Amino acid sequence: MISAALYLSRRSLANATRRRLARLRQPKYLIGFALGVLYYYWLIVRPRSGGGGAGLPGAGGEVLAILGLTTFLLMNWVFGSSRSPFAFTPAETHYLFTAPLTRRQVLDFKLLRSQLPLFLSSLLSVLIFSGGHFTPSRIVRVLGLWLVFSALQMHYGVAALVRQSLEEHGVTAVRRRLGVITVLTGVAVAVALILRRQLPEVQAAFAAGPAAGLDALGAILHRGVLGVIVWPLSALVRPLLAPDLATFAARLPAAFLVVGLHYVWLVRSSLAFEEVAVESAERMARRIAAWRSGRRPPPSERLSKGARRSLGRLAPVGSPACAIAWKNVQAEWRGSGVRLPVIIVLGVAAVAWVASLGAAAGTGIQVLATLLLVFAGMAVVFGPYILRNDLRADLLLWDLLKSYPLRGADLVAGEVLGPVAVLTSVAWGCLLAAFAASLAIDLPGFPVLDRLAALLATAIAAPAFLVVITLIQNAAALVFPAWVTLGPGRAAGVEMIGQRMLTMIGSLLLMLLAFLPAAVVAAVAVAIAGVAGVDGVWRAVPGAIGLTVTLGFEGMLAVAWLGRVFERSDPAAELGG
Amino acid sequence: MIEVRGLTKLYGSLVAVEDLSFSVAPGEVLGLVGPNGAGKTTTLRSLVGIVRPTRGTISIGGRDLDRDPVGAKRQLAFMPDEPRLFEYLTVEEHLRFTGRLYGVRDSDGRISALLRELELAEKAGALPDELSRGMKQKLAIACGLLHEPKALLFDEPLTGLDPAGMRRMKQTIVERARQGAAVILSSHLLHLVEEVCTRVLVIHRGRLVAIGTIAEIVGSRPDLQGRSLEEVFLALTGT
Repeated sequence: MISAALYLSRRSLANATRRRLARLRQPKYLIGFALGVLYYYWLIVRPRSGGGGAGLPGAGGEVLAILGLTTFLLMNWVFGSSRSPFAFTPAETHYLFTAPLTRRQVLDFKLLRSQLPLFLSSLLSVLIFSGGHFTPSRIVRVLGLWLVFSALQMHYGVAALVRQSLEEHGVTAVRRRLGVITVLTGVAVAVALILRRQLPEVQAAFAAGPAAGLDALGAILHRGVLGVIVWPLSALVRPLLAPDLATFAARLPAAFLVVGLHYVWLVRSSLAFEEVAVESAERMARRIAAWRSGRRPPPSERLSKGARRSLGRLAPVGSPACAIAWKNVQAEWRGSGVRLPVIIVLGVAAVAWVASLGAAAGTGIQVLATLLLVFAGMAVVFGPYILRNDLRADLLLWDLLKSYPLRGADLVAGEVLGPVAVLTSVAWGCLLAAFAASLAIDLPGFPVLDRLAALLATAIAAPAFLVVITLIQNAAALVFPAWVTLGPGRAAGVEMIGQRMLTMIGSLLLMLLAFLPAAVVAAVAVAIAGVAGVDGVWRAVPGAIGLTVTLGFEGMLAVAWLGRVFERSDPAAELGG
Repeated sequence: MIEVRGLTKLYGSLVAVEDLSFSVAPGEVLGLVGPNGAGKTTTLRSLVGIVRPTRGTISIGGRDLDRDPVGAKRQLAFMPDEPRLFEYLTVEEHLRFTGRLYGVRDSDGRISALLRELELAEKAGALPDELSRGMKQKLAIACGLLHEPKALLFDEPLTGLDPAGMRRMKQTIVERARQGAAVILSSHLLHLVEEVCTRVLVIHRGRLVAIGTIAEIVGSRPDLQGRSLEEVFLALTGT
């Protein structure tokens, strides 16, 4: 099994590298590669002063690492998808599940294969933060991070299985997982209660300085019941923080124990999931029998999930770009679950309610308005990375798109407009709600009219920002399809962390280039408004208009260029086949 | 209707199609046959505008595909061997979407008729993942026929269909040709080509080897007299 997994990984890596090198015969990939090398040099190899010299602080570093890891785990449990990082490819399904292997061997195979990307991601992450000073001691960091990533990946795998099981098999899965769910809930409640009791002590320590605060927090995290609960996290991050190889080796057994326990948990969960699937399949078979015998099950138990209702009917005649945008909005609507919006709304309401308890009047509303503004900002900045029903999804049907009687620019405009329309609605909704909430409170120095001006300015600028960010993502997919994950979903797995960091920084650089001229125009517009006697915050409105017009013009140029790129493209040459 | 002159497609040093010239008149069904890697798919993809030819011209209904791609594409439909569908559009929405892209003004009536004709009416509100392979194929065909194209291109149209589906597909091809469409059909199934096509184009290593009715092709090679189409094909392509 191990030799087969190693053979597949080795050959796949070699052949993929060979193919990537062959792709460099295309000038755009060669130029991209050269720029990429420079970019990597600038980001990773170039020695920088102040970077990488100092190691992570002892106790404080451990506390920060535990808090970071806890945040990752919580985010995954609350917001993660049911797509497992160990999902099998069609080829793996075909060859492994039909081979004379046990389910556990198949899972072992997948786990082994995931280790190389995890190692490379660890290496990349350490290189990025080493500031060009990659000393032998950094190898400890790489190995430590590799262990953390491995455990994290397995934990994500279990969480995905739990979610998938709950989504697909409902009550059956809840009954089977009652033990795990009870333990996890109990742990969460215990941690909340303990932290609440210790809060004054931590607050007092932080008042004396961040280092003292972290030390106090570290002491609490390693004490009593909390110490037991936090131990797995602590054991996992301690090798990563080891100052030398000897300490690293001494801390390894505990970390291995945590990784081993995760392995057992993942294997048991996978096998249990299959049992639930079988149980569910039997239940389904019983329902089909009931249908056939004329005993129709109640509507809630009908088999076909059906399509979520259409958001609107497409008129037979009109702009083809609007038709493409309509298709993408439908895809966002039907492809998105209701879980995330519900969690966000409940979370916002809960935070606002908690903030209002025993506080001055209006504090809850103030917190609510602030959170809504934060969400509006997040929709604009991170939304285009999450909503991918544009060229990033549709290029999988590249030849179909090319057979349509459309100008390339119309197609690109339509593709980009879909997610931009959805995200603009979200951002505007949040801004409007924040403004409405702010009407109920008195903000000295920020009168209602000024708030209205701020609302108008941000509402005008938001779509322009979204167009630019979405266009950059689409341009990357169209110009370098072989380097971008195509499909509606983002590639799952911890190993993508390093790659995402790089693409995110690259996109930020491009955005800076795009925003520079727009910022200049906006500044000029604000200055002119000032000369014309426009008051304070209201000057932001012409500024936003200037910014939006400039970004819109840049967007039109980019759409025209990308349209030509699409028209000249050859799907077979880009994607193979 | 379909005019191809000197079509050549190079991938680096690899010659996929070389100097291919032929035409298909309205009402004609041209069978495109050749061994694997002969250049059939590249030819079809060039005719639809998916691939840009290295040299040569393609004209659909008098419109040059290179100079007026939108006008030329409005008159044709391509049915690939694997149906290409959007994950989150229902059957009916696929048709509405296609109608809008092709500028079909009276799409409502045509959509109802096509759904009935292809036995998809009951699945009008279903997403692609709720359809069987055959139904997906039918939906792709319905999308292709909605704008009543003057030129139809089929790539292995019988792939994945059951016997009843195969019969309906053959009827659809013949029926559209009778109504005046120019049809090109690429397939390895020689009995299908023999049954449905009025002329055959044999392609090998990217070059045209023979073109005409089966009788004309056999007539031009006295050594092939009395042989089956399969034997003729193997002799022409040297496989």
